[in-house]
This record gives sequence, structure tokens and C-alpha cells, in this order.
Amino acid sequence: MKILTTAKKVVDVELTIHVENGAIVEDGLQYVINAWDENAVEASVQLKENNGAETTLVSIGSGDNTDMIRKCYAMGIDNGIHIDDPALEKADSFVFAKVLQKVYEAGEYDLVITGKQAQDTDSGQTGIILAECLGIACVSNVIAIEIIDDGKIKVSRLGDMGTEIVEVVLPAVITVSDSINEPRLPAMRGIMMAKKKKIQVMDLAGLGTSYDEVGGGSLKSEVIEFMESEKRQGGQKFEGDAAEITAKVVDLLVNEAKVF
Amino acid sequence: MNPLFMSLLLIVGLAIFSRTMVQKIQLLMALEPTDRANHITDRLKNMVVIALGQKRLVGRKKEWASGIMHAFIFWGFCILLIRSLNLYGEGFVKGFQLPLFGDGSILGYLYIALKDIMEGIVLVMAVYAIFRRAVLKPERLHNTWEAYFVLGMIGVLMLSDLLLDGARYNLIMLHNNPEHLHFFNNPLYGSEFLWTPVSVGAASLISGFSADANGLILTTMFWLHIITQLTFLNFLPFGKHFHVITALPNVFLKSLGYPHEKTKLLDLEDESVWEDESLGINHIHQLNWKQGLDLYTCTECGRCKEVCPTHTTDKPLNLHDFNDTLKAELLENAGNLIKRAKLAATIKEDGDAEKNEEIKAQMAELNSKKPLIGDVITEDTLWACTTCRACEQVCPVTIEHVPRIIAMRQGQSLMQGVYPQELNVALKGLERNGNPWGIGYDKRVDWADGLDVKIMAKDADVDYLLWVGCAGSFDDRSKKVSKSLVKILQKANISFAILGKEEKCTGDFARRVGNEMMYQMMAQENIETLNNYKVKKIIAACPHCLNTLKHEYPQMGGNYEVIHHTDFIDQLIKSGKITLNKSFQGSLTYHDPCYLGRYNSIYDQPRSILQALSKDGLKELDRHGRESFCCGAGGGRMWMEETIGKRINVERSEEIAGQKAATVAVACPFCLTMIEDGMKELDKDEDIKTQDIAELVANNMA
Ligand code: SF4
Ligand code: SF4
Repeated sequence: MKILTTAKKVVDVELTIHVENGAIVEDGLQYVINAWDENAVEASVQLKENNGAETTLVSIGSGDNTDMIRKCYAMGIDNGIHIDDPALEKADSFVFAKVLQKVYEAGEYDLVITGKQAQDTDSGQTGIILAECLGIACVSNVIAIEIIDDGKIKVSRLGDMGTEIVEVVLPAVITVSDSINEPRLPAMRGIMMAKKKKIQVMDLAGLGTSYDEVGGGSLKSEVIEFMESEKRQGGQKFEGDAAEITAKVVDLLVNEAKVF
Repeated sequence: MNPLFMSLLLIVGLAIFSRTMVQKIQLLMALEPTDRANHITDRLKNMVVIALGQKRLVGRKKEWASGIMHAFIFWGFCILLIRSLNLYGEGFVKGFQLPLFGDGSILGYLYIALKDIMEGIVLVMAVYAIFRRAVLKPERLHNTWEAYFVLGMIGVLMLSDLLLDGARYNLIMLHNNPEHLHFFNNPLYGSEFLWTPVSVGAASLISGFSADANGLILTTMFWLHIITQLTFLNFLPFGKHFHVITALPNVFLKSLGYPHEKTKLLDLEDESVWEDESLGINHIHQLNWKQGLDLYTCTECGRCKEVCPTHTTDKPLNLHDFNDTLKAELLENAGNLIKRAKLAATIKEDGDAEKNEEIKAQMAELNSKKPLIGDVITEDTLWACTTCRACEQVCPVTIEHVPRIIAMRQGQSLMQGVYPQELNVALKGLERNGNPWGIGYDKRVDWADGLDVKIMAKDADVDYLLWVGCAGSFDDRSKKVSKSLVKILQKANISFAILGKEEKCTGDFARRVGNEMMYQMMAQENIETLNNYKVKKIIAACPHCLNTLKHEYPQMGGNYEVIHHTDFIDQLIKSGKITLNKSFQGSLTYHDPCYLGRYNSIYDQPRSILQALSKDGLKELDRHGRESFCCGAGGGRMWMEETIGKRINVERSEEIAGQKAATVAVACPFCLTMIEDGMKELDKDEDIKTQDIAELVANNMA
């Protein structure tokens, strides 16, 4: 079985993000692997360990992704592809999906596993659009994957009404929830050994396509402006006699916050 | 007496002994190197104080009886060495006397008096030791037949020598000395016995026997003594009594300058170490020779496990067994390890690569087949240690447990990738944001909002750098300590600044859990920042930071004068830069942090501060100072779950609560968290407040 996994490099959400003139202040920011993609990597590696599979990681984005891909190697990924093209700077989910489609077609994979969304944009569309473009099945928000045979898997997903168990015919795209697993830390020895491992870096031309062909010429959505998120107001603190405080809090809840 | 028989005994006895010793030494030489051939005077001093002076045996109040017992047996043996030489001489030449000790010399008289009394004392001590083992049965002791056998031999050695002299006395004094015996070539035969009351006492036991019988006793006791002694000598290397031979060299060769061997700075860039999986300790041959000597030397006295916070809270780490199993594994593989080392010596750096690979493959064949961690030492055992050093502090023969444990953790973390997975969150936080909480590094300086604290990046022209530490920066409770410290420094007009966002975890916990890579990453970045600002003096608000900055950063080119905040505050008080009101009321006690006390010998300064501010003085805990009991957070344990046995912090909190203290002062952010949590668990947090010394000072400044 050949599994394709995606990993996006996103801004570390532990940091406070500042916006100036409608743009994000890049100074002082640092970038890490999208947490959900980390779950996707872990899920692929577990499938590889338990059932045997060849795992490939693809990451799209301009800049240096070497470190991130090496860490995925150290987690157990076999091959790494980095689509590095400055043209993709403004790409939206649709463009990403189109690029992934190209990668998929070049590799003949049986299963694509992606994080259900990225921590930076939180749009949660790429995996689903990719399945649509490829005309294959897609299950989102998955919390467990089980391989039945070469042509079929069984997954559990968190749906509106509870956990749904779904049988899926391969090839398929699975987008995973963060509760699917606890990603391992890349093995130290793995990181060092991965230094020697090749990463396939290519631009869109190298992938046999162009920015226009993946929809860049007519972007379906575009970010116009960023706005700083509102700071949380500090809470109110009450001190003194327990009975008095209770009365006061109840009063505030009823009359000011109008919760009842 | 009988030169032929004597020669035979000596040749056989010494030949077997030499053969054993050569094997033991060969095995040590097959282990990894470590350099101990330096600072000879310091080493001699250690040997005199710790080994010859029996400091850790007689110096512990709790154990004075057994300490004195052991010390006298040991001193007795040292003294009797001269007597033994004399006896061997007598075996060859009748009336043999060692030069200087014979011919009626005063030294000779003094010596026989000393020897005589010592033999009596050793005999009494040996009887007490047997009684103690058999009847009192202290918990820390492992009762083995070996112990009784050796004590028995000691008894026989003393008795035989006393009876030998007793018979000699009887023959001279009661039977007209038919064989012209004497101690010294003294014209007044027998006068020397005025100096040997114990032997005369022994003589009275056999005075009823005839001259012939006394003569027979004399000869029998002589040979019994010699044969027992040679048997004793040959028996020693095979058990825990090897320490009789190895303890002196072991203490002589102990680590200097830092309480134990510093963690080696591993060369992580060297590809071969990753390919050969040679980092840390994963196989018994990766111990260094001193660690091997430690194993030879362990006396199985159990002092280490008795003070170990993990053993006392029912965790599987039992140092006594730890040493024992390691030693068994070492000895079991002795032959292969020696062969392996010989092969290793044939690898030539510039030699034929193929040949070298072949040799390496042969060497790998000789590795122990048992995985060291998992099979010999269980994982729970390895990860239980808090690196508190209580064990090392009490070990009478200065065995170093912690470096070995850390090296084994390195093997697990770096090579095998097997370690408690709870650590991942903290390690990831370290990697991304330079703190184990994983909070955005940009928030590191939020605690100082409105305090008017200088940041190095804006103004580096200051006398001191205040190293806040991760806890002081991110943990809500510890932030209050940081603020108090700032208040004190400002009051004393100290020129200082902080690194702010540029500060990162020192890497202490990463190193202690064996993740040398993460440690080096942190250390390298911090050292670059510090050196960039030309920092010279650092005040550290955390003993772990203090320890790492002071003792470990020099390995990577970071050399600073580092002082702990309690030490600094003490100086401020003594120099009058701040004045304390003696206004603190209520029963006050102090919990010594391991990394402040046992690692950095800071015991007095915190106490002198507390004495200066407390109206009611300071009440010591049962386990305090050098033998303070860990809070449970060191060695990376802060970031691991504690699921086996009783929680260490609860054990300590109970002890504090038992002292009826109203406030417990601490000097470490981890102790603060652990003890406060422990008190909460005991539902005592309302009655017993846990406070850092900086807070107490800030609240009681004039
Ligand atoms: S390590 Fe030291 S304290 Fe522990 S049993 Fe051995 S000799 Fe005793
Ligand atoms: S360092 Fe502390 S926890 Fe570790 S073995 Fe020694 S006494 Fe036990």
C-alpha cells in the first residue's frame, strides 16, 4: 500500500499574532508543522508499522521545509516531496488541492491522509477538494483507521450524532482529527540519520504543471486583510465571605450577564 | 616456624590472588576510558578523610553505632597489617622482627600495645556486627551467608592471634620458656606482656593446659591465622567484600570539582556515533572503568536505598539491586568484554575500511545478548530516579549512581527512542518555544510588566544578569517569586537586567532525561546570547538553572560567575544593602532543594536569611541539609507521571506537616510547586504555606 500524507508549515499558534496595516507582522514569528498534519503523519506511520506501507510526505509552500520533512522522516516517513514555488504565495485551498492532485497522479497512491484543517487558516477544505478533483471517496474528521484489505479500509469519524463507522473503497482521502493519536516525537537518532536522506524538491514546472494550470490565474478566494483578534477581557475577582459572594455572583449573572 | 610450608602457602595464596586480580583489572581495562590521573593531592586528601577517616560512616548521627563499628574494624585491619608482615617473617625465621619494631624499640612496644587493644576491639565489633545482623536486622541490610562468613573469619583472625600470643605468654611466664620465645630480643623475657592486656587475658583462658598443649596451641593458632588470612584475601574479590581492597582506590579516584562525573558533552555531529549506536549506555561494555570499579566496590550496605526518595515511596528503583544486577552482568560478560576490547584495539582509524567493518561486526557478536535496559535494569527503575544525589551523599565508598543513570537514559532517548512519552509535550515545548510548558516564547517577559526591569537587548550595561528561568517566567505561582526578587534587587540598588524573550530553558531537564540533543540546542543558543552581551555575572533564581549555567555551560564555552538568589540575598543582608525586620512570625522550616544543597553545597545561606527574618527561629526538618529529602521533581521527573507507589512530594509534605510548621521556606520553583501540591493533596495548604525565600525576604524588608 502506498500512502500519501500532507504536511503544511504554519505559524506557531502559541505566539501572539500582531497585525499592522492589514498584514501580519512576520517579525518574531516562527513556523512549525500543522498539528493536525502531525496526526496525519503519525497515522500513516502507524499504518506502515502495523500493516506495512510505503509512506510519502508532501509539503507545499515556499521557503525551507527541510527541517520539518526531516523530522517526519525521523517519525518514520519514507519519502519526502517539497513543492517549493514562490508563485504559490497567495494560493488558496483550491490551488493546494490541485497541486496535490498532480502529486497524487505522479505517484499512484492508494490512500491520502491529511490533517482535517490547518492551524493557520482553519478552512479545512484542501483534503475534501482534492478528493473531489480526483473523483474518489473522502471521509473527514477521522479518529481511527483500520485496513481491511488492499482495496478497503474501515474508519471511524466524529459526526454530528456521534461516532460513525464507515467502510471506504480505496483509493480515498482521509482527513484526520487530532484525537486520532498522540504524535510521537521524532526519534533523535532518526533526525540525525535523516540528514543523509534525500528530499525531492521541485517547483510547479518540475511537477509538470504551471501556476495557471492549478488555478492560480483565477483564484477562487483571496485574503484581503487581516485583523487583530480581540484581547480577552480579564475576569472579575470576588473575595470575602462565601455567602455574600455567592449572592453577588448570582445577582450579576442574572441581572448583568442575563444568563437565566 | 616452617619455611617450606610457609613458602608453599604464600606461593599458592598469592598466585591465586594475583590471577584473580589480573582478571578483574583486565575487565576494567576493557571498559570505556575516563581520566582520573590528576589532582593527586586532592585525591589523597579525599582518601585520607573519606576512606581512612571513615567520614561517611562515623559522620552520620543516625548511624553512629554501625559507623563506629565499621570504622574500628577497618582501623584495626590497617593496624594489623604490620603484625601480619611480622608473622609471615616468623614463618621463615624464628624470632623474626620487623626493622624498627623489634629489639625492644619503643615503637615496637607502642605497636604491640595498639595491636593488642585493637584486636580486642575488633573482636567485640565483629560480635556486635553479627548480633546486629542476626537480631537487630536493620532494614537496609541484605542478610547473606557471605556477610556472616566474613565476620566469622574476622573473628577467627583476631582470636587466633590473641591465643597465639596468649600461648606464647603462658610458655614464657608459666613454663620457663622451653623454646626461648620472645616478642623482642629482650633480656627480660615477658616484660613486653605488660603492654598487651588482651593477650594476657587470652592466655588465662588456656593457662590450665600443659606446656606441650600450649606449644601446640601456639603452632596451631599461627597456621590457622596465616591460612585464614590467605583464604580471606582470596575470598574478598568474589563478593561485596572486594571493597576491602577497592574502597581506597575507589575513593582516591572519585570525581573532583563537581559532586559526580559530569555528563559527557557528546559529539552529536559525528555521524558514526549514530550509525554505531554508541551514545550513552546501552550495553554493559559502555560503562567506563571507574563505573566498573564502583560496581566492584559496592559494599551492599543499602545506605543508598534507605535515603532514596524512590525506594522509600515504593518505586522499583533499589540501588542495591541496581548495582548488584549490573555487577552480575559485567562479570557474566567478562570474557567477551576482554576479547571485545582486544578487537577494538586492532581497529585503525586510517586502516582498511572493510577490515574495520569486519572487526566491528565481530565486536558486535561479543556484545551481551541481553538488552541492558528492559532486561537487566527495568525501564521503571531507570526512569524513577530524580537525580537527587541523596544516595551518593551517603555512600561510604563514593559510588556515583546518577551519571550512570543519565548515560543509560541517553542510550534510551537518543539511540532507542524509548522513554516516558509524557515527556514529549515538555520536549516539544522546549524545541519550539524554549520552555517545557510550550507557552509562546514571546510571552516570556509578561511577568515583568510594569516592574521597570531592564532588558538586555535594550540596555546591556549592567552588573548582573538576572536569570529568571522558565518557571519564574511562565508558572503563575513562580512569577510571584520573580517579582519578589526584583523588588529586593531594586531595593538594594543592584544594576541588573534580564534577557527577556531571548532567554531559553537552560536544558537541565532535557539533559537529565538523556536528551542531549535538545540540551545542546538550548545551551548553544543561550551561550550565544549570553556571550553576545558579554555577560559575566548571573543571579539565578532556580537551583537547576544555577547548576547548569555554572557547571555545564563551561563545557560549551559559556563561562560565567553564577550565584543563586539565596546566596546573593544573604550577601545583600550581610553587606547592609538590605535590612530585614525580624518580623516573620510562626513556626518556620526550610526544605533544602537537592540542586542547591547536594549539588552546590549551599546550606548555610538560606538558613542565615531565615534566621534573620524569623522571630521564632528556624525549625529543622528530620531530613535536612545534606540528607534532605527530594521533592520529587528533579531529573525531569517534573514532566513525567508518578504512577508507582506513594507520591514523593506527598511523603515530603507529610514530614513537613509532622513538624507542625506553619510555613515551609523553599528556594527552588520546582520544590515550590511540588510541596504546595503535596500540601493540597493532604488538605493542609491552608495551614501550611509554602514560600520561596525571596518572597519571605521581600515581605520582611525594612
Ligand atoms: S552504593 Fe554505596 S551506599 Fe549503596 S549499597 Fe553500595 S556501598 Fe552502600
Ligand atoms: S539520585 Fe536520588 S532518586 Fe536517584 S537513585 Fe539516588 S537517591 Fe534515588
